[in-house]
Amino acid sequence: MYANIEKVRNIGISAHIDSGKTTLTERILYLTKRIHKIHEVRGKDGVGATMDSMALEKERGITIASAATYCEWGENEINIIDTPGHVDFTIEVERALRVLDGAVMVLCAVGGVQSQSITVDQQMKRYNVPCIAFINKCDRSGANPFRVINQLKEKLGHNAVALQIPIGLEADHKGIIDLISMKALYFEGEFGDKVREDKIPDVFAETARQKREELIDAASMFSDKLTELALEDQDVPEDLLINAIRAGALKRELTPVFMGSAYKNKGVQPLLDGVDRYLPSPTDVENVALDIDNDETPVKLSCSTNEPLVALAFKLEEGKYGQLTYIRVYQGELKKGDTAINARTGQTVKFGRVVRMHADQMEEIDRIPAGYIGAFFGIDCVSGDSFTSKSNKISMTSMYIPKPVISLAVQANDIKSETNMAKALNRFTKEDPTFTTFINEETGDTLISGMGELHLEVYLERMRREYNASISVGEPRVAYRETITRESTFDYTHKKQTGGAGQFGRIAGFIEPFPEEEFVFEDRISGGVIPTHFIPACEKGFKECMTKGPAFKYPVTGIKVTINDGASHSVDSSEMAFKAAAKGAFRQAYNKAAPVLLEPVMKVVVETPSEFQGTVMGTLTQRRGIIVGSQDEGASSIIEARVPLAEMFGYTTVLRSLTQGKAQFTMEFFTYKQVPQSIAEEVIKKNEKATKTGT
Amino acid sequence: MLKKSLIIRDPLKLLGLETDQTFQERGCGAIFARAGVGKTALLVQLAINSLLQEKPVLHISLKDPVDKVDLWYKEVFQNITKLNDIRPADRLWDEMLPYRFIMTFESSSFSLDRLMDKIEELRSQKIFSPKLIMIDGFSITDANPEELDRLKEFALANGFIIWFTIRGHRGESQAPNTFSLEFVNHYGDFFDVILQLSPEKDQVQVKPLKKETANQPHLFLDPSTLLIRENRV
Repeated sequence: MYANIEKVRNIGISAHIDSGKTTLTERILYLTKRIHKIHEVRGKDGVGATMDSMALEKERGITIASAATYCEWGENEINIIDTPGHVDFTIEVERALRVLDGAVMVLCAVGGVQSQSITVDQQMKRYNVPCIAFINKCDRSGANPFRVINQLKEKLGHNAVALQIPIGLEADHKGIIDLISMKALYFEGEFGDKVREDKIPDVFAETARQKREELIDAASMFSDKLTELALEDQDVPEDLLINAIRAGALKRELTPVFMGSAYKNKGVQPLLDGVDRYLPSPTDVENVALDIDNDETPVKLSCSTNEPLVALAFKLEEGKYGQLTYIRVYQGELKKGDTAINARTGQTVKFGRVVRMHADQMEEIDRIPAGYIGAFFGIDCVSGDSFTSKSNKISMTSMYIPKPVISLAVQANDIKSETNMAKALNRFTKEDPTFTTFINEETGDTLISGMGELHLEVYLERMRREYNASISVGEPRVAYRETITRESTFDYTHKKQTGGAGQFGRIAGFIEPFPEEEFVFEDRISGGVIPTHFIPACEKGFKECMTKGPAFKYPVTGIKVTINDGASHSVDSSEMAFKAAAKGAFRQAYNKAAPVLLEPVMKVVVETPSEFQGTVMGTLTQRRGIIVGSQDEGASSIIEARVPLAEMFGYTTVLRSLTQGKAQFTMEFFTYKQVPQSIAEEVIKKNEKATKTGT
Repeated sequence: MLKKSLIIRDPLKLLGLETDQTFQERGCGAIFARAGVGKTALLVQLAINSLLQEKPVLHISLKDPVDKVDLWYKEVFQNITKLNDIRPADRLWDEMLPYRFIMTFESSSFSLDRLMDKIEELRSQKIFSPKLIMIDGFSITDANPEELDRLKEFALANGFIIWFTIRGHRGESQAPNTFSLEFVNHYGDFFDVILQLSPEKDQVQVKPLKKETANQPHLFLDPSTLLIRENRV
């Protein structure tokens, strides 16, 4: 344990749904002797893959929560996070990539770069995570890894280059040719654990030569020596080529591509070698924190155990021993029994139990050194909290958290279930920042909100199973918003003289549409007509109005408020008076500013056999969808559309029945757009009715 | 109002090629240039002009994925609205989108017959009925002449205007007239209008190889925006 830090790799395995991430992780764990038997994701033995430890994951054959594990490969210690593919659980990928140093992007040799591959790629870009690609399922009918490499270039803009070529494809997939050693590799034994090296079969020799030339050409951009040798047509030493590829990969300017079939146990060992060769160690990555006491100046962290502790909590789980917090240590060492400061709350905490995770199993350890991922028990904190030693008050930058787009009203059927549901909601909202819950003040309903139907469905099922809560569920609701479409002025005086101290505040200015941001406040008061110390109260008053729009009763977004005049009274003006004046001013201006209702519009991608293309497009246009385009891929076709979320409920069933179950779709939030007038009226009526009846 | 001021800047009108006169019975046009000169940019400008007039455009790409084609439209549209100081442009963009349909094919699986089938399918199922069809990245020199004839008939029968981008030889800049003349000789009957983009110093000149009109204005693609401009920048 705790190898030389340069030999440590913290990696994520991310991809589109059903690309084989969990299957690949299972092979990695087997080949690194972390597990002794392979269990398939939907295996007949009913055990399920190691990383899918939740009962629901095993049943549905999907990964819902990311799971951490570690293994050893040669001298390397690899910490792995297997992430879900379904976009509804995107937060799991987001927080994994926030703390990982490198990633393996798994792509299907048939499906290629799919919609979720694009999302994952954007997440990797956001956190500047270098990656290598693994083109899986080369044994499947229709497999074409070179087409996938082209898609990596065209769709994702990667400088992707093959490090291998397949020996046969589809049913003839027998192994791979390593373009660095120029050897054929065959994977023998029951689980492909014996790698046999051989000479390249004659039939592949020419392709291998050409592809190696392409590889050297791409890698020579990162090594002058390599360029020199290539130009002089001299032999290129293996280590020189490897170092050049590594240099390109670490800068995210080159994406090395591996291939094989995880399910058929082909190509996994060279991929593990690739993780060592081309992905960064914690010391290769520059991590930066913010100095809270010094105007959030960026501070470069050192991956050394001798420095003060800096660690980031990135995931929480409620277990039988209390809250389990996953943590990445960036600097210093997190030791059992030590104390640290939670940078957000300023509270001192003591690490009682420190563990290392292997799926749902854990191993007690004494310390987590810089560059490692681990977990601790029993400390109350939230995801994104930084822990530092007392001497340095710094905080890691937070991660991107998408906002929920769909809601459901839930109701417990009995008193016991009500208590259990409350416990469950408390836990789930803490664990998952994209899952929120609130009470509708008008109807008294408990509403749960999340990223999609599946997301909410999983939590409802978990409430029933893990908390024994009997729950009734209402119709799904869309998270509508409202905004204004034109400028409007206000000049409002709040005045009250009802005995005792009076209240006085006058505010004038205007509101205008500002789609780039949710709320912007500009103070253009001159001459002190509103004293400076009352300005924050004015801003607060306006901001509070944003939670519920006067027109449609939905949260307001995209507004800029400018105040440019006002008046105060030396005795009667107060923060409360100006806050009330701001609220009155907002109401005064809002209805004149032509408010409109906004709805979430989703990016919908449907993959369908070509014969159903027309039918599928029809279903999307019927749902007020705009078809952006279609990609013809011979036997199949990929349709991309923008469809209002309100029209997409139950689409899974419709699509299945119309395409004999052969089409599948993914959907993710795209933007908010104005609801057509006729539909907006219906929504308002429905909302009013629901408020009256309390449903 | 916004739309009108943009429609006035129709690239074909600027060239003195009024659309209705150029394609009297509907038909085919070509944008001819060597690689990297701005064929797609001009094609997208023609498409946007049609979209602004609420005439549906089907954009076929054999070289770029849907997202990249979409990005072309966004960039050209942003440049147009910025140049004409049209704000806010978002609503105009949203209004245009339902009139546009992007279809991408892998070059290996593409044929004009297949394309005609796809268009028929879209029309018969009332999903999309184009008026203008843009074909980008298709090698016309590899096309079967009978297939080309069928496409022309298809365009005439259905009232479509079809634009192609035609990639000229790499050496076109050295011998400007050889390949283009050869092209006009060979495909002159098929195309009703052929526009050539030829780089000159730091700008790209736009000139009709066929349908040249009297008092032809000097038009250029602005090198920074790739938008068509009347005078040298």
